[in-house]
Amino acid sequence: MSKIVIIEDTETIREELKTFLITYGFDAIAPVNFENIIQETLNEAPDLILLDINLPIFDGYYICREIRKQSDVPIIVVTSRDNEMDELMSMNLGADDFITKPYNTQILLARIETILRRVQGSSMRDTVVYNDLKLNLSNGSVTYKGEKAELTKNEIKILSCLYKNKGKIVSREDLMDFMWNADVFVDDNNLSVNVTRLRKKLEALGMEKNIETRRGLGYILP
Amino acid sequence: MTFKEYVKDRAVFLLINCILFIIIGGIMILVRMNDQAVFLIFCIWFFPLISYILIEYFKQKTFYNELTGIMDNLDQKYLLPEVMTEPETMEGQVLYEVLRQANKDMHEHVKGYRDRENEYREYIETWIHEIKTPIASTRLIIENNQTGVTRNIQEEVKKIEEYIEQVLYYSRSNNVSKDYLIKEVSIVDLVRGVIKRNSRDFISKGISIDLEKVEGTVFSDAKWLEFILNQLIGNAIKYIRERDGKVIIHTVRNENNIVLTIEDNGIGISEKDIYRVFEKGFTGENGRKFGRSTGIGLYLCKKLADQLGLGLTITSKMGEGTKVSIIFPLGSENFIQ
Repeated sequence: MSKIVIIEDTETIREELKTFLITYGFDAIAPVNFENIIQETLNEAPDLILLDINLPIFDGYYICREIRKQSDVPIIVVTSRDNEMDELMSMNLGADDFITKPYNTQILLARIETILRRVQGSSMRDTVVYNDLKLNLSNGSVTYKGEKAELTKNEIKILSCLYKNKGKIVSREDLMDFMWNADVFVDDNNLSVNVTRLRKKLEALGMEKNIETRRGLGYILP
Repeated sequence: MTFKEYVKDRAVFLLINCILFIIIGGIMILVRMNDQAVFLIFCIWFFPLISYILIEYFKQKTFYNELTGIMDNLDQKYLLPEVMTEPETMEGQVLYEVLRQANKDMHEHVKGYRDRENEYREYIETWIHEIKTPIASTRLIIENNQTGVTRNIQEEVKKIEEYIEQVLYYSRSNNVSKDYLIKEVSIVDLVRGVIKRNSRDFISKGISIDLEKVEGTVFSDAKWLEFILNQLIGNAIKYIRERDGKVIIHTVRNENNIVLTIEDNGIGISEKDIYRVFEKGFTGENGRKFGRSTGIGLYLCKKLADQLGLGLTITSKMGEGTKVSIIFPLGSENFIQ
């Protein structure tokens, strides 16, 4: 589980962001005391830091620079100041990415995952396992009890979205939104076709119990 | 200034001289003085007088001609006192001083307004910066508590955000030069980003999107472009009323420019309205019928596009759809003038 430290002074955002990241399977820590924030953060040995710019005591730029002196941990700067100068400044101080508030949470997640994948190497986070089904995100293949099949980009996206929400019903709209946010602009009909094909492929591998349709609600990977 | 006008101005002076001469001449004739003596007196009297008037006339004429010449060529007329030659005559100097003082006072007055405007602008920008924090919190709260209710709230929050963004760009639109960064921008990435921002609307209205033929890069400011594009795509979504909505985005590369076109099959704009859509506050028939139109969006787009040196054109057919094109000139002219 990747550990993320949230450095943010607005209490609501700090707590909600923490809840949000925990829901998505991260180990999120949000320090409340800013006096010794740099050392405290480094002691946690996080995999990634979400850093606000406007902070009490030290501003984000300073913290970013100080952390960089001691560690190569990825830093994503999150701020409501959306001008190019702040972005440049953050990049120059060694931040890995820059997101402006109010951000789309899915985009924030995607950026976090991209950076973590880059830093931790592709092997660690690219294979997910569901029951006996192994899904390899980087080459788009699935393996079920030794049988292997290739999936298209759309099918991979559908499967990974359902996998992330396994045990929960994902509405068609949410599924489409997830795909759109991954640059796949499918329409309603396409989605049905893709799901049907994906289901056939999984069945061909011998996986009888796979994606289920809940009429009027959406899809679920039980 | 003509000679006639000039003489008319000095009519009293000339008249007094004439009357005086007639009286003196009359007296001289009465005391039977020589006619030649009278003529001599006339010459001695009037020759210098007329020469003086003529010389003065030419002097003044050159001065005023130069002045009006400068005035005509000046871009900012109020700079006249700074560039004009200082007059030599006493009257001229008095006027010159008065003009300078009036001008100085006007400058201070204008500066007062400029300061006030800047202050207001700065306030608006800080305000926008601050309101983004509660909005970000709201979004996260919604994300963590997803129900039908919060989803509806999310839709409304998105609208609030769009209006806030409009305010930000409106306040910046008069002063682009302070806030832009020209970079190479990939049109595909830009378009995709904006579509993602509006993905929920596309999906919930069942609008399909086609961006197969989008390609190319341009040099411009990504943020401003994104704002313009977001307004245009937002409009496309807003005015699609039928089922089977479709938005087609494509680029065409010409010799001198790249044209990015956003095409929808929405309700379209009537012929009498289409020429006025870029006017500030113009809402037209569609605005009246469907509401939620402020008449600011397209006006701002046009204004920002102009400042970025981009073209913005719109064509539409009632009931068939609307096509909006952004024209990116290629080459050096694609920078802010």
